[in-house]
Amino acid sequence: MIQAQSLTKRYGSKTAVESIDFTVQPGKVTGLLGPNGAGKSTTMRMVVGLDQPTSGSVIVNGKPYREHKAPLREVGVLLDAKAVHTGRSAHNHLLALAATHGIPASRVREVIELTGLQSVARKRVGGFSLGMGQRLGIAVALLGDPATLILDEPVNGLDPEGVLWVRHLTRSLAAEGRTVLLSSHLMSEMALTADHLIVLGRGKVIADAPVDDIINASTRSTVRVRSPRATDLAALFARPNVTVTSVERDVLEIVGVTAAEIGDAAAGAGLPLHELAPISGSLEDAYMALTQDEVEYRTGGGTAEPEPERSPSELQEVAR
Amino acid sequence: MSTLTAQNPSATTDAAPGLPAPLPASGSGLSFGGILRSEWIKLRSLRSTVWSFALVIVVSLGMALLMSTPTASVDNMVFPEEQQLGIVLSATTFGIFFGQMIVAVLGVISVTGEYSTGMIKSTLTAVPRRLPALAAKMIVMFVATFIVGVISTVGSYFVASLLLAGNDISADLFDPLLLQGVFGGALYLGLIAVFAQGIGAILRSSAGGIALALGILLVLPLVLSMIPGEWPDDVGPYLLSNAGVEIFMQTGFSVIEESWQNLLVTLGWVAVSLGLAGLLLKSRDA
Repeated sequence: MIQAQSLTKRYGSKTAVESIDFTVQPGKVTGLLGPNGAGKSTTMRMVVGLDQPTSGSVIVNGKPYREHKAPLREVGVLLDAKAVHTGRSAHNHLLALAATHGIPASRVREVIELTGLQSVARKRVGGFSLGMGQRLGIAVALLGDPATLILDEPVNGLDPEGVLWVRHLTRSLAAEGRTVLLSSHLMSEMALTADHLIVLGRGKVIADAPVDDIINASTRSTVRVRSPRATDLAALFARPNVTVTSVERDVLEIVGVTAAEIGDAAAGAGLPLHELAPISGSLEDAYMALTQDEVEYRTGGGTAEPEPERSPSELQEVAR
Repeated sequence: MSTLTAQNPSATTDAAPGLPAPLPASGSGLSFGGILRSEWIKLRSLRSTVWSFALVIVVSLGMALLMSTPTASVDNMVFPEEQQLGIVLSATTFGIFFGQMIVAVLGVISVTGEYSTGMIKSTLTAVPRRLPALAAKMIVMFVATFIVGVISTVGSYFVASLLLAGNDISADLFDPLLLQGVFGGALYLGLIAVFAQGIGAILRSSAGGIALALGILLVLPLVLSMIPGEWPDDVGPYLLSNAGVEIFMQTGFSVIEESWQNLLVTLGWVAVSLGLAGLLLKSRDA
């Protein structure tokens, strides 16, 4: 369980996270979603004490992270696939981290096998692909068999098989009663993996609810209707709270009424229908609707293209 | 428009993958012994460490070789015992002047390498209180460098003794002055490595750290010696490398006469570097 209270982080004059409150519950996968610069990585870094909150607090399993006697046993974290010395082998990297907590070498072999790194474990990490780096990062997170897992963009750079593997893994970990918090830019992936979503925008929580609720609340379902007498059909729904858009000459998209209502009305008026299809909202639409005004780095086209995120401290690093 | 249908996550009945087996809770808490072991694994698993230490030894032996090669000019000379000791001692410890540069660079990059690669995030996540990680890193580096230093000086003594025997020059390894050279030299190397680690932790940049460490070690005494006036002469003996050298050989130039006093001055430099490093590590975001 992760609990944040009025958690705030400022880097100079720039506020990365502004007084956010949230609770990440055990037993389910919670997705942390938001455009670039929304504060996702910063939030995760504060949970494990890498960044000090400017004000407010965040506790994991009842205590601030640093006060746990065996931090790696409490929280497994994948913050950045590059949090590894490139000159060291994956095996030695895991061995060094395990040593701090007296975790035996047999456990290191276990997580190497679990993440499928056997063939490259003795090679230096500098030559790893992004996907192998991610697998190593996940191996590190699982090292201490923690009750809470924090994974920042875990599927970034993974092949389809790897994406599926992470989805299975996170869902199974949550099913075991663990707390799982993950961030991702892939909204479709979140729809398949997460039970609960916390949506961040410009450092604030925009939404904190079950995935289904967010989709339902932020998108109104559209019904696509094809009829040779589209104009007559449109006239039937000329009333407030219903929007009728003519997509093609004989195709309408109607928002505000259900497919059943449209079918009944058309039958009543004797209008033929060639197609009647409800199009339910996707998480992508919900996300776009929610974050429309919250996108920090908007591209020229107007839509935010997912791109690798940089945490503010990394940006500072570059500026330095 | 995307026509992806949101699925109810609980409806996705994926086969459970091989989950990690539960880890026995016993003996797996964070401990300082564990952190020491971790830092030792980290130190020995990098090629740069192995190469640097090998270089320290090779350069030291090489210097001893160069300094003790028999020359015809001294072929028939007979040296008094005290002078023989001096010759052997210089050959034994001369490599340290080069070794200090290598271990200074190694010390800096042992810390800054973690920052440039992002490893520091893993380190500090495993040891969130931070200072134990820094302390362990320094203890491991000091002990390793000290041992490498002893191997260098003792090895150099034997190289020198072997070659100088041709000129009838010899000295007993267990002579107090030679012992001081052997262990004092190793101690100096260890302290320089740790001092440089502190510099690395303060600056968090390899280039800047190496420049500052070597600057304090080598350039500062040079600059000071070029400044006219009396105060540079008063300050000079308190410089890191000037005081440090007196730990393993008494040059007779310094106003700080006792070796232990020079050791204290050297420790002062190390303490300032480490103290500042610890303070910044604790307060800065990783």
